[in-house]
Amino acid sequence: MAIDTYIMGLFRSEDQAVAAVHDLKNSQWTLHRTHSPIPSRKLSEALDLKTSKVGWYTLCGGIFGFFAGFALAIFTAERWDLIVSGKPIRALVPFVIVGFEFTVLFAIFGNLIGFLTQTRLPRMQNLDHYDERCSGAHFGVLASCASGQQDGLTDLFRKNGGDVRVFDDQTATNER
Amino acid sequence: MNELTFDRIDQTVLDTLRPATRRYWIGVAALAFGILIGAACWIYQIFVGIGVGGQNIPVAWGTYLINFVFWVGIAHSGTLISAILHLFRAGWRNPIARAAETMTVFAVCVAGLFPFIHLGRVWMVYYMLPIPTQRTLWPNFTSPLIFDVVAISTYLTVSSLFWYTGMLPDLAIVRDRAVGVRKKIFTWLSLGWTGAHEQWRHYTRIYLFFAALATPLVISVHSVVSWDFALAVVPGWHTTIFAPYFVAGAIHSGLAMVLTLMIPLRKIFKYEAIITLHILESVAKTIIFTGLIVGFAYATEFFIAWYSRNPVEIFVFAWRATGDYAIPFWIMVTCNTIIPLAFFIKKVRTTIAWLFGISIAVNIGMWYERFIIIITSVGRDFLPNTWGLYRPSLVEFGIMLGSFSLFFFLFVLFVKHMPSVSMTEMKETLVEGGDHGH
Repeated sequence: MAIDTYIMGLFRSEDQAVAAVHDLKNSQWTLHRTHSPIPSRKLSEALDLKTSKVGWYTLCGGIFGFFAGFALAIFTAERWDLIVSGKPIRALVPFVIVGFEFTVLFAIFGNLIGFLTQTRLPRMQNLDHYDERCSGAHFGVLASCASGQQDGLTDLFRKNGGDVRVFDDQTATNER
Repeated sequence: MNELTFDRIDQTVLDTLRPATRRYWIGVAALAFGILIGAACWIYQIFVGIGVGGQNIPVAWGTYLINFVFWVGIAHSGTLISAILHLFRAGWRNPIARAAETMTVFAVCVAGLFPFIHLGRVWMVYYMLPIPTQRTLWPNFTSPLIFDVVAISTYLTVSSLFWYTGMLPDLAIVRDRAVGVRKKIFTWLSLGWTGAHEQWRHYTRIYLFFAALATPLVISVHSVVSWDFALAVVPGWHTTIFAPYFVAGAIHSGLAMVLTLMIPLRKIFKYEAIITLHILESVAKTIIFTGLIVGFAYATEFFIAWYSRNPVEIFVFAWRATGDYAIPFWIMVTCNTIIPLAFFIKKVRTTIAWLFGISIAVNIGMWYERFIIIITSVGRDFLPNTWGLYRPSLVEFGIMLGSFSLFFFLFVLFVKHMPSVSMTEMKETLVEGGDHGH
């Protein structure tokens, strides 16, 4: 069974990375992922990324918070159900403030939980096949090929103007 | 801006994280000393009693509430800059957003201390929490003071999470260039961020939701703070204009504090290429706008007092402008509404010294605004036999010094040990106008 070799193309420009992604999609090699120092709309379009579903977590959190805020305020008011000046025990108008604040608070919690679960963060171990230049000025495109086909993949990246890094299991070598 | 590159942005910001000089640590030590003075005053007050402050009947809320409202106000413009201007796609926010968010978080922390200080018996603080206890009493969620607890704690939580989440890509940049223990620390802090497309896909979405949710929150929080006053039947307080008036004032003071912090930061860290004069000018233009709103609110208060034909209202406002606190009142008016008008002159808003000087003036003016609101209304209530005056005591001055020292202490520590400018957002500005890929 052939062992895959992982190779990353490192590009100075977003457009070069996008071109490499398009070329890879039309090639025999497997595109795994991209890394970029900034969120890139062009890369997202090239990769045909769908819209994140994290908003559903946010929505669920917000709905829960809305009811939790009202429920807490009503529950605490009913623990001391002494009518003062004819005012209602369940004073819904002032409870809107508690409901609103809880809506925002729990929506944010949902937002964050959605983000962490969708991205599988936190992840403290070093990520395999990651190049630290990708957090600086380079756009990284990671692809793999069967052993012995490295030259073709390397040429693809070079043709698009990139540097190349070959990952040999945990050991990486740089080729310029 | 054109001469900036990704590498240069990284290098400029990472250079600020180099080991600090002795002068820096002397400054930190001086601020720590200020904190100790504040802490000593607070401890003295805990042992002796709240009476060591200048609060009295009728002026029961002194500098503790003044400083509370002042710091909550300062906290507002961080979210304005990071959230509201993000939604408006205002690219000029990017270089100053991180420092403004940091200012927000630390200002809320400092503000949150004052209700504790003003409690006197601080160990009773758990009374505010909705937990079952031997008292069989629960917080009254129809009280504006409990609204405050809910709103401020929500704001602190949300702004801290927003701040931290926004930092993740930058923490990864520092991690990738650090060695030794520092690398380990930043590996933990960055949560394993790599900038993979899957991470960005979700990140851009949550950032947008953060901004969308923080925007109404920021408006609600200072509205709630204003209702501490507006829901009381006190002349000068019981008015519907208070919520927008407080929100505008909060943004006004926060923007001034942004200038006060950014100008030295820009100079010390050599951020001139990143925090350009154009950005400071944009803040100054926004200050003109907020200053005009605040001035309009001052005028509206006087107009409504006159128009209502309510003799108590008319008297309270006349006393504000001409009575015992006339000097603080006119400092407030001058610093908040008249001096910022100088920013209409291009030379003024593009000269660093003027920008810095006017920002200090607005900070002073906004502190006095809270002084005037909190002191004068209860000082001249409905019945003359309850009238009174207020003068802060030395203990209060000590605690105030401590609060300012604590704020600057935290800020100074942060900017030297964490990226004080968002490298990622600056890079975005170079590529596509800084809109997080939307």
